[in-house]
Amino acid sequence: MAKEVEQKNTKAKRKKRKNPALIKKPESRVPGELSGLLSLLIPGLGHIVIGEIGRGFILFGSIFSMILMFVWRIELLAHLEPNLLSMYNKALSRRPVFILLLTFGIILLWLWNAWDAYRIRKKREYNRIKIFILVIAVFFVLGWQIGEINPYKMITRFPETLTPISRVLWPWKAAFTHKTLRVSAKAAILAPPGGNPPPPSVENPNKPYLLAEPTSGNLSRLDENYKMIPGTTITLTGKNFKPDTKTEIWWIDPIGNKFQLRQNGKYVSVITDEKGSFKMKVIMPYRLIPPSSKGKMIHHVEAVQVSPVGGVIINEPLKLAVSRMVETIFMGMIATLFGIILSIPVSFLAARNLMAGSWVTLIIYYITRTIINIIRSIEPLIWALIAVVWVGLGPFAGIIALTFHSIAALSKLYSEAIESIDPGPIEAIQATGATHLQTILYAVVPQMIPPFISFSIYRWDINVRMSTVIGLVGGGGIGFILVQYIRLLDYRAAGIAVWFIAITVALLDYISSEIRRRIV
Amino acid sequence: MLSIKNLVKIYDDGTEALKDVSFDVDDGEFLIIIGLSGSGKSTLLRCINRLIEPTEGQIIWNGEDVTEADSNHLREVRRQIGMIFQHFNLVKRSSVLKNVLAGRLGYTNPMLSLINRFSQADIEMAYEALRRAGIEDQAHKRADELSGGQQQRVGIARALMQNPKMILADEPVASLDPVLAHTILGYLEKINKEDNITVLCSLHYLDLVQRYATRVIGLRNGKVVYRGSGEDIRKMTDEEFKQIYGEEAERVRVGPDSSEDVDGEKING
Ligand SMILES: Nc1ncnc2c1ncn2[C@@H]1O[C@H](COP(=O)(O)OP(=O)(O)OP(=O)(O)O)[C@@H](O)[C@H]1O
Ligand SMILES: [Mg+2]
Repeated sequence: MAKEVEQKNTKAKRKKRKNPALIKKPESRVPGELSGLLSLLIPGLGHIVIGEIGRGFILFGSIFSMILMFVWRIELLAHLEPNLLSMYNKALSRRPVFILLLTFGIILLWLWNAWDAYRIRKKREYNRIKIFILVIAVFFVLGWQIGEINPYKMITRFPETLTPISRVLWPWKAAFTHKTLRVSAKAAILAPPGGNPPPPSVENPNKPYLLAEPTSGNLSRLDENYKMIPGTTITLTGKNFKPDTKTEIWWIDPIGNKFQLRQNGKYVSVITDEKGSFKMKVIMPYRLIPPSSKGKMIHHVEAVQVSPVGGVIINEPLKLAVSRMVETIFMGMIATLFGIILSIPVSFLAARNLMAGSWVTLIIYYITRTIINIIRSIEPLIWALIAVVWVGLGPFAGIIALTFHSIAALSKLYSEAIESIDPGPIEAIQATGATHLQTILYAVVPQMIPPFISFSIYRWDINVRMSTVIGLVGGGGIGFILVQYIRLLDYRAAGIAVWFIAITVALLDYISSEIRRRIV
Repeated sequence: MLSIKNLVKIYDDGTEALKDVSFDVDDGEFLIIIGLSGSGKSTLLRCINRLIEPTEGQIIWNGEDVTEADSNHLREVRRQIGMIFQHFNLVKRSSVLKNVLAGRLGYTNPMLSLINRFSQADIEMAYEALRRAGIEDQAHKRADELSGGQQQRVGIARALMQNPKMILADEPVASLDPVLAHTILGYLEKINKEDNITVLCSLHYLDLVQRYATRVIGLRNGKVVYRGSGEDIRKMTDEEFKQIYGEEAERVRVGPDSSEDVDGEKING
């Protein structure tokens, strides 16, 4: 008899272990129909009544908050409508998939919750996980909408990002330039015609020369419907240019504005033949001349050849990136140094084994710990924002921010190292008749050095990393120029900064892990 | 040479670890303290060199009361008493040599040791101690790279550097396997006999106690409950042993000379 019971018990245990989701229903005198009905009235109420208090509150909380958020999103979608129903209709027309999914989801969940309350009361064993999968699914749909997730946008907008991305990935065109030789010749054109057209350019056998035919004509202009009426077509003949070289055509208006001619959306250019000559047709461009300008409206057309000569010149973005990178590394290093120096005393105050002696020291310990934890939980970027207000833009603000955060983080790590010190060697050294100082030197310091070095290098690594972004909020360093370049849409210059950050961080990563590996 | 009189230790939390313990230790003895876990063996040994401050009682070392000694005098006493530990208590990240040299700290000018200096004589002495322990070739390894048995020998070498008159050993073999236990205890016995260094050692296993003790003291709940000579304990049956010792007593089934067969763990010198 006893054996049988035992067998049963082990059987039950085995079953339990097999599937933790199958749990016996609780004892309750409320009939299942009633608990189902109650949960249908107020989600979770039936559960609470039959003793499933935790489950009841979770179901109530989730369904209630879902409905609140649903209403909130509907209001956002259709805030101009006068009442909830019309808001709902408007929202439905604007985001049918989202609204329908959520409506059905919540209704289904509500019904299921009632059914769940009934089932738990009625059935001994019952898989209780499934309903929460639906809860999570509904929250997911809400989150999708609240997060304004839009994969379609992501895909359709992707081509637009290709140019900036390619510039960021390979920015070196902006890093160097060549000294250039500029070969050019101009021809004058009168527009609109009337009066004496300027004489054609004089041919000179040694100099590049550009002939325009005719030397007067009409500019392109817009009619009443803003349709472009093309201007006079001009034949350009160039001679004595550099052979086989790309030649750009520029337009200079009477008030001196210079721009490269565009036709059919493309810049106009031509490649000279082997004798350095070319012949081409261009349409006179659309140009607004301010009415205040007086005199003969003489425009010029210019053919320009720009070709590199001599060595490369390092461009400003590259120079700036290098100097700012150096600044960044020093910011990180100095902040680490300050952090180490200042956190050593703090770490002693935050080490429990040292401070457990009396209640005074214990209070100091708790205060120190609390302050450290608060400082540590605020990101260096936020400290930088505060420091910028305090000492103004520039690397100093960044150093202050990083130092602050370093003190807190290092103090915590150091104090934990102090706490985990092995007391065995201390008593062994004491037993040899060593003095207090000798004991510290021979038993404590050797145990402390590796974690101290390891944590310090780790922090240095973090600080240099952080200092690359701390400039984003004005804390100096390379981040400062990076954010400016990005705002100016100068993706190549930004790309140079990004490259420097990546190289530095990767190098640092390697160096610090290498040092730590060797020391610890 | 050492006599303990009415020693009492009450920890801050009120635990009475030692209750009126008295006994004498004579020159050249291999005195073994037995007792259950928690009976106060470690507390007793640490009270002798005041790693733990005794609450009451006297510890007379060569006619002087250690409990009265000021810190300078205490250090002088401490350096005459070597100590080895269950968990070896080596500075794990330091080299073996440096660990052994630390045994000289009681003799070193504190200022010199500040800059990590030991005299040439000390360094030669350290090599000699390592050679005796059979681990000369390990001198420049980090202490935690050594096996447990080797680490304990470093611990003994460190104690020997003090030129001690007595060695306190707190369960020196409890974290070693039985074969190693015999090599280590055999080494201690050799030191005890050849160098005439008194050994005061706490042990758990009856076999080991019977093999090495010249005298035995049994502790139970901080009180001395048994005193006997080596002969007494060698005649003792397991039942008698269990009675004074408690239920947990165990025998180790390893022959006392098996140490000679174990490769690489043989003690030379
Ligand atoms: N620092 C301490 N504070 C409070 N009580 C302690 C402290 N150290 C030891 N005790 C207590 O004193 C008693 C004796 O401990 P002790 O370590 O001396 O025993 P032991 O015989 O060495 O035991 P073991 O064989 O387990 O090492 C135990 O009850 C222990 O809990
Ligand atoms: Mg102990």
